[in-house]
Amino acid sequence: MLFNSIEYVIFLPIVVMLFYLLPQRYRWMMLLVASCTFYMWFVPAYILILLGTIIIDYSAGILMEKHADNHKLKKRYFVISIVSTCLVLFIFKYLGFVNDNFVALCQALSLNVNTTVDLILPIGLSFHTFQSMSYVIEVYRGNQKAERNFGIYSLYVMFFPQLVTGPIERPGNLLRQLHEEKKFEYDNISKGFRLIIFGLFIKMVVADNVGAYVDMIYADPGKYSSWDILIGMFFYSFQIYGDFFGYSTIALGSAKLMGFCISDNFNTPYLSKSIAEFWHRWHISLSTWFRDYVYFPLGGSRVKFGRWAYNIMVVFILSGIWHGAAWNFLIWGAAHGLLHIVEKAILNHIPEKENRGRLEKIIVDGFKIAKTFLLVTLFWSIFRATSFANISELFQALFNNFGVTEHLGIESSIWVYLGLFIVMDILLFNSRFDRWCDKRPAVVRWAIYFVLIFMIIACSSVNNFPFIYFQF
Amino acid sequence: MKKLLYKFALLAALLVLMNWIYGKFFFKNDLLKHSDEVQLAWNIAHDSCAMVYTGESSNHTFAWADKDRRKISDFIFDQFPEMRCGDITKDASHAEVYYYLLKHIPDDSPVETVIVTMNLRSFGYNWIESNLETPIQKQLVLLKDNPPLVNRFKLAFKAYDMSTNAERAEHRVYHRNHDTLVFPYNFEYHTNYEWDYNTNRKGIMNADGTRNQEKTLLAITFIQQYAFQIHDDNPRVKDFDNIVELARQRGWNLIFNILAENTEQAQNLLGNDLVFLMRQNRDYLVNRYGNLENVTVVDNLEAVPDQYFIDRTFTTEHYTEAGRRSIGDNVAEAVKKYY
Repeated sequence: MLFNSIEYVIFLPIVVMLFYLLPQRYRWMMLLVASCTFYMWFVPAYILILLGTIIIDYSAGILMEKHADNHKLKKRYFVISIVSTCLVLFIFKYLGFVNDNFVALCQALSLNVNTTVDLILPIGLSFHTFQSMSYVIEVYRGNQKAERNFGIYSLYVMFFPQLVTGPIERPGNLLRQLHEEKKFEYDNISKGFRLIIFGLFIKMVVADNVGAYVDMIYADPGKYSSWDILIGMFFYSFQIYGDFFGYSTIALGSAKLMGFCISDNFNTPYLSKSIAEFWHRWHISLSTWFRDYVYFPLGGSRVKFGRWAYNIMVVFILSGIWHGAAWNFLIWGAAHGLLHIVEKAILNHIPEKENRGRLEKIIVDGFKIAKTFLLVTLFWSIFRATSFANISELFQALFNNFGVTEHLGIESSIWVYLGLFIVMDILLFNSRFDRWCDKRPAVVRWAIYFVLIFMIIACSSVNNFPFIYFQF
Repeated sequence: MKKLLYKFALLAALLVLMNWIYGKFFFKNDLLKHSDEVQLAWNIAHDSCAMVYTGESSNHTFAWADKDRRKISDFIFDQFPEMRCGDITKDASHAEVYYYLLKHIPDDSPVETVIVTMNLRSFGYNWIESNLETPIQKQLVLLKDNPPLVNRFKLAFKAYDMSTNAERAEHRVYHRNHDTLVFPYNFEYHTNYEWDYNTNRKGIMNADGTRNQEKTLLAITFIQQYAFQIHDDNPRVKDFDNIVELARQRGWNLIFNILAENTEQAQNLLGNDLVFLMRQNRDYLVNRYGNLENVTVVDNLEAVPDQYFIDRTFTTEHYTEAGRRSIGDNVAEAVKKYY
């Protein structure tokens, strides 16, 4: 079920009403049924894969706790659980990629190998496997008690607002809340509603409207002028941000309606002054997952520069591959990692000047934000490209088809939507829409609701753009 | 809870206001952008037409050898030189599209007579579940009978039949396998699929006993397109019922034009059985609509001989000049009874 579909518009109020009408002891059951329904709306059979990982990780949690004193045995259960979860991910997500490259390599060596792997990637697999793994790791580390209620554990992995594209929750946050009794509070309904309409606005009005032009550009870059290509790249930055931020905000709002607080996934990432800061603000739940479970165990930053650079590259390459089984994602991740290292190296040699005047600070910060945004935009083009040929054609057109003629036929309203989004993003710097609204008078709040709801209905794209991160 | 109800009431009031703003300032542009065929209906009013012809590609498709390449509607209008006439022609459309377009002809327009194309194939699930149906359904959303904001909401939240091509293929296969064909005599095949499969297996033979692949493929196409029986629950029947009701409300003379199909070719390829079904379906439509007040059904099913059909490898209702003219003449005769 998509958040921006009529089915969800009907589904969510029913679930919220049932949630508050049912006694606490039945709520998790209802939420589990709702989550299964939500997931099975896509392809019902995929739930069996999910069920498989749930059973393995649930059992591993209990066994690890049971054998807490026997470190060897505990570790064995931990490894079995992690390996099997990763294996599921590998088979459905990476096996085809590995196979294709193996076949290509064999053919280059004139060996006659022609195997094919044709598995469909279950929706949101990378998200819920990571969420499942975080539970196993936390239980192994002794930070989390093993969950005894199979239903509640299943709900932790399958909680519908964040099931298919996150945020990737930790057991310390979500699992704990699933045991708490949630009372009906007007504030939760109000904030949830605000977040949902803001998320829908970003997704349906901003991301989907600019998405149509992005598709045109990437379908045949050679047809367009440098100016068009630049606009296409710029639009894609906002498409992917609007799409993913929109989804995460709707997820937050949907959970909030029932009193659940799930993690923020974005914090105005395009206002970052460096790549390092960008990753503190973009897809926060994934960045912190890699930080806690990969980067820190590798030694983090408390090591020599060379080792630190290695740690960074490992994390960023893994992050790239997490997004998709293709070379462009790997290169995209590596490019971010390299840039992160270069930034740090430069900072090590040229320390930040302190005590800048206000104007000078604004100018310098503005320059840094623009630089980071441009670099991120440049890297998004690698992320978005469908093949190496596509990337090459895009950059050839960018540097060869000089000209400012606009062939895209961009409607003026697009600039209005984009402008509005950028202004809102700046206003929401280090804040969140629901909290930001709290500080406004009722008339202003309702005026904002009016404009957002009106735009969601009247100005949204009518094209069917699935959420970009669904594919991961 | 009381606070929440109060806020919901405020929200409802705002939605009413939004509907007014949208209807007043945005709806017309959206109609032209997302349902541009509505312009065809507005043109009818703009041109003060008294007679309207609605149809799909059969109306305007011509053969390169035709001397007169005009539409069927033009051949009809030729016989009413004193009347202002217009056509609503949209390729691949069907009765549901005609209904909503006719609805969008403003009430105060001087339309007196409406001629609506009745394409036999459009009642079959090959057409009902064609891959073109999803874009058609999308285009119809804004034309439906709801407040403008509700229609725009349904368009934004994809509240229309947006089945994928694979899903539509599944539906087609389902109907081909499960819709039982009932003959008043013993016939060896009971479903469209059975008939199609066995015809393909056996093949259409040449005189020398060899398989004629070209004819076999054409025979299969004919079976796939025409081997069905129209029942009261057919969605197209409901659409034509709606058109009848609309014409009654507006006081229009309504003429249903059952298009010619290549029965001659069907007879040559498959004998009497398929033609039996085609005639049975035609009779169903004539009986259902032919006796209604102010409704005339023109039966053109067998009005065009094989040589006047343009497409030779597929079943279409595309006619050469002689075919179009012949259909036009028959329809014009029926129109004359109102004038």
